Amino acid sequence: MKQDYFSSNNIKHIDYKDVEILKKFLNPNGKIVNHKRTGVTSKNQRALAEAVKRARFMGLLPFVAK
Amino acid sequence: MEENEIEGRIYEVGYLLTPNISEEELPASYGNLKELVGSFGGNLVADEMPKLISLAYPMYKTLQNVITKFNTAYFGWVKFEMSPEKIAELKKKLELDSTVIRFLIIKTVKENTIAAKRFVHRDMARRKVPTVKKEGEAEEVVEINKEEVDKEIDAMVA
Repeated sequence: MKQDYFSSNNIKHIDYKDVEILKKFLNPNGKIVNHKRTGVTSKNQRALAEAVKRARFMGLLPFVAK
Repeated sequence: MEENEIEGRIYEVGYLLTPNISEEELPASYGNLKELVGSFGGNLVADEMPKLISLAYPMYKTLQNVITKFNTAYFGWVKFEMSPEKIAELKKKLELDSTVIRFLIIKTVKENTIAAKRFVHRDMARRKVPTVKKEGEAEEVVEINKEEVDKEIDAMVA
């Protein structure tokens, strides 16, 4: 089983500006990866989704990557 | 107790400035934004100078009745303490600002939320955890590593 990336790296707040971290949880199309694949806890997965959506709005991450 | 919570609410505004602003004008518009926050009684906590980034997708904004397309923008952010009534006023003000393509107001916490810099060297983060179990010697090793990493980062910045 994969460990939760955020708790194992001691990240308490998932920031939308941390694009490098968020990119790890996107598939090649720019979609957010399923929590079953990421191994992230439900709570962190929700925070992650929020952060990715904020980053998308600010043009830091794509909505769709071709 | 609720009142205290309201008083001390921490917000963060991320914004995208139009790339039409020249490099020399940038500190001025960045200062204006900080002043704007200050004028609404905001106590600055942290901020970052706007940087020119290439947007992940083109954005459009109507400037003087002309729809303008942007592929790049200056991205910056400010973190501050402000009351919820004032933040609504600030939002209205930002909406009228012609130099701001987009902005995002979020509720956040006072501590630094950016973690990316810690993971320049991934093994460092792993070493941090077992220091409790080990003796004094092991702790020293960790400290030396930190300094080395700092030097490396300085060298990279310079």
